[in-house]
Amino acid sequence: MTASRLDLLQGTLDLLILRTLSLGAMHGWGISQRIQQVSEDVLQVNQGSLYPALHRLEEAGWIDSEWGRSPDHNRQAKFYRLTKTGERRLAEETRQWELMTTAVARILSSEA
Amino acid sequence: MFTRMRRWFRAVGHGGRLDDQMDQELAFHLELEAAKLERQGLTPEAARTEARRAFGGVERVREEVRDTRRTSWVETILRNVRYARRSLARNPGYTAAVLATLGLGIGANTTMFSVIDGVLVKPLPYEGSDRLVLIRQSSLLAGQDDVLLSIPELYGYRDQLATDFEGLVEFHQMSFDLIKRGDPDRVAAGVVSANFFDVLRVKPILGRTFQAADAAHGAPAVLLLSNAYWKTRFGGDPNIVGQVFEMNDRPHTVVGVLPPVPIYPQESDVYMPTSACPFRARGEERIAENWKAFSNLRVFGRLKPGVTIEAASAHVATVAARFTREHAEAYRDARGFGASALGLLGELTRNARPMLLILLGATALVLLLACANVASLTLARTLNRDRELALRTALGAGRRQLVGQLLTESVMLGLGGGIAGLLLAAMTQGALGTFIGRFTARAADITIDGRVLGFTAVVSILTGLAFGALPALVTRPGPASVLRQSGASAAGPRQSRLLRGLVVAQVAVSVVLLAAAGLFMTSLYRLARVDAGYHAEHVLAAEIFGNFTRYKEPKDYLRLYKPLIERLSQMPGVQSSAVGTVVPLSQQGQPFLNAFEIQGRSAIGRDRPAADVNVVSTRYFETLGIPIVGGRDFRETDTTESAPVVVINQSMARYWDGADPVGSRVSFDKGEHWFTVVGVTGTVRQYALERDGVAQLFIALNQSPFPAGASVLLRTTVDPVSMTEVVRDTVHSLDPDMPVEHVQTLEALRTNYLAPTRLTAMLLGLFAGVALVVTLAGLTGVIGMSVSQRTQEFGVRMALGAQPGRILTGVVRQGLVMVAIGLAIGGIASMFVGRFFRSYLYDTQPTDPATFGVLAIALLAAAAVACAGPARRATQVDPILALRSE
Repeated sequence: MTASRLDLLQGTLDLLILRTLSLGAMHGWGISQRIQQVSEDVLQVNQGSLYPALHRLEEAGWIDSEWGRSPDHNRQAKFYRLTKTGERRLAEETRQWELMTTAVARILSSEA
Repeated sequence: MFTRMRRWFRAVGHGGRLDDQMDQELAFHLELEAAKLERQGLTPEAARTEARRAFGGVERVREEVRDTRRTSWVETILRNVRYARRSLARNPGYTAAVLATLGLGIGANTTMFSVIDGVLVKPLPYEGSDRLVLIRQSSLLAGQDDVLLSIPELYGYRDQLATDFEGLVEFHQMSFDLIKRGDPDRVAAGVVSANFFDVLRVKPILGRTFQAADAAHGAPAVLLLSNAYWKTRFGGDPNIVGQVFEMNDRPHTVVGVLPPVPIYPQESDVYMPTSACPFRARGEERIAENWKAFSNLRVFGRLKPGVTIEAASAHVATVAARFTREHAEAYRDARGFGASALGLLGELTRNARPMLLILLGATALVLLLACANVASLTLARTLNRDRELALRTALGAGRRQLVGQLLTESVMLGLGGGIAGLLLAAMTQGALGTFIGRFTARAADITIDGRVLGFTAVVSILTGLAFGALPALVTRPGPASVLRQSGASAAGPRQSRLLRGLVVAQVAVSVVLLAAAGLFMTSLYRLARVDAGYHAEHVLAAEIFGNFTRYKEPKDYLRLYKPLIERLSQMPGVQSSAVGTVVPLSQQGQPFLNAFEIQGRSAIGRDRPAADVNVVSTRYFETLGIPIVGGRDFRETDTTESAPVVVINQSMARYWDGADPVGSRVSFDKGEHWFTVVGVTGTVRQYALERDGVAQLFIALNQSPFPAGASVLLRTTVDPVSMTEVVRDTVHSLDPDMPVEHVQTLEALRTNYLAPTRLTAMLLGLFAGVALVVTLAGLTGVIGMSVSQRTQEFGVRMALGAQPGRILTGVVRQGLVMVAIGLAIGGIASMFVGRFFRSYLYDTQPTDPATFGVLAIALLAAAAVACAGPARRATQVDPILALRSE
């Protein structure tokens, strides 16, 4: 693995999925592609861990799923979308993430 | 919330379909990924392989998704069960200890539940048994809580309460001689109203019950057999109906056989209609002039639909009040007279209830203790499994899965304990039935049925959850912390505190049980040694009651008893022989109280004196070893020709207020006949060991004004039991048709009398013993574990020259502190618990210092021994080895 590609920290994947779905309903593969593209290939989603995460989020009630026709590929696919609680959860997680990154950044810069 | 529920139901219902959907979803993903790779220039083949590689194991992902879904809960449980089975099989010692402990705890509770359910809860096996009541009269101010009804009283209630009861029926018991081939047999006959079994709604299993015509004057004599008597005496002969038996010189035809139902107040061998009892018939003739004629009846009734027991009881009380107004003279001595209607079930089980509830309390404590013990075992095991649990956490098992896993194991163990308990209950049932039979007629209703199985299942599962939850809750395996560590894992401060708390709890519960058992045993010990006023050793008693058909007059009895005493006295090995109507602590025991007056003393302004009247021969007091404390014994010269004399006991002498009763005269019939008191004897605890003997008066056999069937008594120099056949043969040489019943030593009677108390004390002792052993084992385990954890510390101390003795006492002290705390808590709890059974103790307070002192010392000593083993191990630690393992 090159230095420019980072493994996701535990818990971060949830945040990324929620953020991605806040743009609209999407199927599993689409989510993985989207995260990779937007992060300009820095973040590599382990495709295997994506689906358990999706089901976990669904179990928690933050996302919902529905089978529908995928327009690009013309076949049945499972689409995920954010629920109301999911939106609140996203806001909460985003805020925490920002708190943490700011704090970490501050520590790192102060030492230098 | 609702979406989640919907999804859950969908998932449970369509676990298979969801799996299909997941496959579709994953396949879709792989296809798109492969297509993308193909567009980047890979061959279709290579693209598919690469897509799969990037995905990282489809099967694993499927598993993971399934885990997060929580959908296949059945699968989860099955997997947990499989895992638990393997895990338990790997630890046979732990598994066996838990199954044994829980088996004892659940078994004891299953048994007690089956008893309580069968005796106290289940309705009586009569149709509509909750509508059956008993009419009870009492005269509380005169100290009588059960005044039997007379014939006129029964008729009075029947006439005035027709709107409350479908029928009021009577019962009394008497004995008949059944003359068959072989030895004559005395049978207990229940004499009942013709519609008795109709009111109880008991259907015969053979033939019929009684009809109104059976009770008519001059009707042919008929007989119903109880189920037990039919089985034991006639081997369940299906052709018994129609057979004719000689009973008291009169042929009786068997018309039916009853099903096995309990009959209050006592079981009878056979049943007869009221016309069969000549004493009752004589009473019936006198009902016009004697309101209290034949006051010997128990009366039952069935409430009419819509009548509550409270309303009926109020009406019964009103009628009783009317009786006392209209027949004031008949109730002159019955101060505080009243009557009520009581539910039959409650009355049938009144004697058994308190003991059963005490024992149920004890078994509940045993189960509580078993839970605490198994919880500490399980906690210790969980701590030892830290590494395993941590490894599983590291491999991705969530906390919920681990807790589920632990609970599955404990519930499985609980159920296993339940099965062991059921086996134990099934094995002990026979013995228990015999025990309960001493308290109530319902012993036969105790079975292990669906209700008992349900109870056991629920208790087992709850037990499993209870002892499993505690360890599961305190277990927080962090993967890193434990994996780093090598060697024996340690209990954190939290777990150690919990383990110690569990030991203290076990000790406290044990102390409550031990205290209860100790108090009952102390009470039994004191009761067994109480001076009852006679010498029971070397005395044999046999009932030779005769029957009212052939022994009509006092002289009929004299013709049998005189030569009998004479012949028996001359037998080798016999010191003295006598007859008497009363034998200390015999089963027949009810005082036969008669009001009397003392010549020249006014009874005004005080209780009218009453005494238990008995007929005895000369040498009766000598044979029983009852001392004459004043005046003289009966003599052969006290006959019908001489002045009528009586001997009284000291308890009766109290009515003379300190004056000497000897020489004064007493009368039972308002001065018509007078008896001169010639002697005073010591008081015998004739009917109950717990209470001072009642006032008793003895009439000389030679002067007996009424025919009185009596027991023969023999004081022997040899083993009294060896005289049994001699007594039988001598009686039969005088009257071949005379039944000889209940040939027993007085010591056996006394032992029998104490049997229920002894059995209760023994059962409590057994429970307490089990509790003690379980607790001490738990203590040893916890101390042992703490020693293992401190191996290095001990090694260092030894290396630095610590005395082994100091280490030993240090470890033992650690255990004794826990025991002392438990002892204090349990001791205080016992004082409160003791209040509930104070009234069942004889001469023993619930705070009895001797009992508690012995208990505390014994428990501390036993605990010290239990700690000594692990403590010795602490002193044998090899310092080098201990340090090296660091």
